[in-house]
Amino acid sequence: MRTMDDYEMDPAEQEYWLAQVARLVDELDPVPPGLVERTQFAIAIEDIDAEVELEAARWADISPLAGVRGGAPGTITFFVGDLTVMVNVTRTGEKQRIDGWLVPAGEHGVEVRVADHGSSATTADEGGRFVLTEVPRGTTQILVRMNGGKPRTVVTPTVEL
Amino acid sequence: MGAVTELHTARTNPPWEGLEGPERHAACVIAAREGHRGALDVLVAELTPLVWHVARGIGLDRAATEDVVQTVWLALLRHVEAITEPKAVVGWLLTTTRREARRTQTRGNGQVELSPEVAEHVPSTEPMPEAEALRSERDQQLWSAFHKLDQRCQELLRLTVLAGRAEYRVVAERLRMPHGSIGPTRMRCLSALRGLYHDGDGGR
Repeated sequence: MRTMDDYEMDPAEQEYWLAQVARLVDELDPVPPGLVERTQFAIAIEDIDAEVELEAARWADISPLAGVRGGAPGTITFFVGDLTVMVNVTRTGEKQRIDGWLVPAGEHGVEVRVADHGSSATTADEGGRFVLTEVPRGTTQILVRMNGGKPRTVVTPTVEL
Repeated sequence: MGAVTELHTARTNPPWEGLEGPERHAACVIAAREGHRGALDVLVAELTPLVWHVARGIGLDRAATEDVVQTVWLALLRHVEAITEPKAVVGWLLTTTRREARRTQTRGNGQVELSPEVAEHVPSTEPMPEAEALRSERDQQLWSAFHKLDQRCQELLRLTVLAGRAEYRVVAERLRMPHGSIGPTRMRCLSALRGLYHDGDGGR
């Protein structure tokens, strides 16, 4: 049973424990190297139109993604609201091929931005499928520009592909 | 000559130059609305540590927190026109980060948030930092003790450290932390940390 006395700390001890928390914050759990730059890349989207809704998608299921983060190709999924996008990445030499599938299907614009390598764009077919070949590897962001109904652009956080 | 000088000044001195704290943040928000490239980059560079530690304080692992950081800044890009009080952008970031982090947490792997009592017996769920960061036994002990604190204490203590720094003074105002004083709640959290640390030390 704790009493109020257990909570008492003299100022020197407060200082000591606050310094411990500061060490945890600064040294044990710092912002990962490159996160600021990756974020600056993620928000440097061209053609932001005030009339077009911008929605940030979330990568589904963190754990399989961890494998992709490690550099192994595979399938990853992101979603926002009712839209789900599955992306399959295959290495082709130095570059890679991206096969994607939008659900629900629609002939939406798809853009893949790679940091320091510009971007590649295509349009999904009526079944919601799209293919991009010869995509450079690196810090990658995917945008889906949805037409039909209220125009909106879905953007993902970056992922290392 | 005068015109040339003026142009030169406009190019080399962005509107936030020389400003600090909320005035600097407000100048960046206003410049971003006016299409000034780089204004949001300044906010991202200076305030990402805050967003990071708020999301980590909620209990997300480092990978999930990376996504939350980017999602929050994308949300700012989207809402920059709608921020009614540019000086209060830090408050907006705190609120948005908490909401986004909680949303990510409840979604994550269908996991139900563990009560502190249960969580205490499942130490393996601690969101670990990079292994090499925890070199010494002392660091491991500190890490382990800190993550046995309840979530409220973890967030409060992380923010207390940030709020004590000049560039984040606005956090202290927002959270109503009087400068130079540790209120009863933070005292209880610090004291709990001390207790957990010593428990992990075999009751030194």
